[in-house]
Amino acid sequence: MPTVTMTVNGKKVSGEVEARTLLVQFLRENLHLTGTHVGCDTSQCGACVVHINGDSAKSCSMLAVQAEGTEVTTIEGLANGDELHPMQAAFKEHHGLQCGFCTPGMVMSAVDLVKKKPKASEHEIREWLEGNICRCTGYHNIVKAIQHAQQTM
Amino acid sequence: MAVGAYTRPTRLPDALAALRDGPCTVLAGGTDHFPARVTSTPDEAILDITALPELRGIRRLSDGGLTIGACATWSAVIAADLPSACDGLKAAAREVGGVQIQNRGTVGGNLCNASPAADGVPPLLSLDAEVELTSLDGVRRLPLDGFVLGNRRTTRRPDELLTAIRIPPAALDGTGRFLKLGARRYLVISIVMVAGTLVRAADDTIASARLAVGACSAAALRLRELEAALVGRPLAEAAATVTAQHLAGLAPIDDVRADGEYRCEAAAVLVRRCLADLAAA
Ligand SMILES: Cc1cc2nc3c(=O)[nH]c(=O)nc-3n(C[C@H](O)[C@H](O)[C@H](O)COP(=O)(O)OP(=O)(O)OC[C@H]3O[C@@H](n4cnc5c(N)ncnc54)[C@H](O)[C@@H]3O)c2cc1C
Ligand code: FES
Ligand code: FES
Repeated sequence: MPTVTMTVNGKKVSGEVEARTLLVQFLRENLHLTGTHVGCDTSQCGACVVHINGDSAKSCSMLAVQAEGTEVTTIEGLANGDELHPMQAAFKEHHGLQCGFCTPGMVMSAVDLVKKKPKASEHEIREWLEGNICRCTGYHNIVKAIQHAQQTM
Repeated sequence: MAVGAYTRPTRLPDALAALRDGPCTVLAGGTDHFPARVTSTPDEAILDITALPELRGIRRLSDGGLTIGACATWSAVIAADLPSACDGLKAAAREVGGVQIQNRGTVGGNLCNASPAADGVPPLLSLDAEVELTSLDGVRRLPLDGFVLGNRRTTRRPDELLTAIRIPPAALDGTGRFLKLGARRYLVISIVMVAGTLVRAADDTIASARLAVGACSAAALRLRELEAALVGRPLAEAAATVTAQHLAGLAPIDDVRADGEYRCEAAAVLVRRCLADLAAA
């Protein structure tokens, strides 16, 4: 079996995986980082979004071995100890979640958005989130949370 | 390559040798590959082409043409500094899934997957694109409409890799547009899409135009009769030039997204809208 080495949330990790293991499986099953969710089997829902070298990507549509040598950030890598990342704090404050299933992916997409387009309008925020689906919130509070985080991030 | 094997070469000749060696599945961004393997994980050997530097990058050539590496992502297309003839291609890039799909999905994957609804095909057809196929025997170039034949069918030989997409210098004049109709605004498979480029003459007539319609036939189609009819017409009459005859080559299917009759009507509307928009640009 191939060995894969990458940096996850600042720590170097490696593991032996079957080549067909998806990155999301590696994160959840080998590293026990279960904050990254799997919400669909068609790469549509966005619950699995992580950052690969600083760009948001769906970890269900790449192999673990494809992440060889990359810097991966998952939802677990955002907070600074007990202190929530400003985006996480904004989601909490503005009720940007109900059941929470989509939240890790939403937050990871949102962080990438604020980094790439710090002044995104409401319309641009909604557009950016097209690959993240939420069953519960109607998106309204998610957008409000992101607008708040634009000020605090 | 052995069944179940995975390889990610960093040199093109190694990738071509692996392809020559035996059947293997090429993997680029994986955004068509993985969703197609939900109900079964076939035992296949995987050739991952994302570490080949030759396949990245979007560059102007010395002859004034443009080359897009097969593994250029849609995000790279959006970020590239391209002439306005490529505005349609950029607009299509923004329509492929969401940002996370655009960050991984490649132009080459979109073409090789050969879905009738692939958003990349009509704009590239309207840019007279050619594909560059490379094998250990060398390179061959084909016009895009000689490459994508129909649903999931291309003329790529199993030992060939799509290495680049080329746009000739003459096709980079003028302005481009892309219009997509889906059941909703976001994250949606096209019901019809239309791409066009138009070059205006000094006297406000049409010097040349190229139009392509997708999702209305097994492979996206150029509207060559319409293109010929447009030459020399006043810009203001561009949209009115379109007749039913010009769209007679379309043969849309009925499916869950729309029936054929609706697709035909929608295609006519979008072609006129695209032309009106190009003429006003
Ligand atoms: C949620 C979601 C939404 C989507 N929305 C759209 C959309 O709106 N419009 C649209 O057009 N597409 C859409 N797609 C499909 C897909 O993202 C695009 O077609 C993308 O461009 C495919 O590129 P890829 O690199 O991911 O291809 P891959 O999945 O890696 O490969 C696709 C196919 O091409 C072959 N292949 C890839 N590169 C080469 C090469 N260089 N040489 C030879 N063979 C090759 C592979 O073997 C495979 O058969 C969507 C996908 C998802 C998951
Ligand atoms: S689990 Fe990755 S998009 Fe749904
Ligand atoms: S909060 Fe439940 S799916 Fe989004």
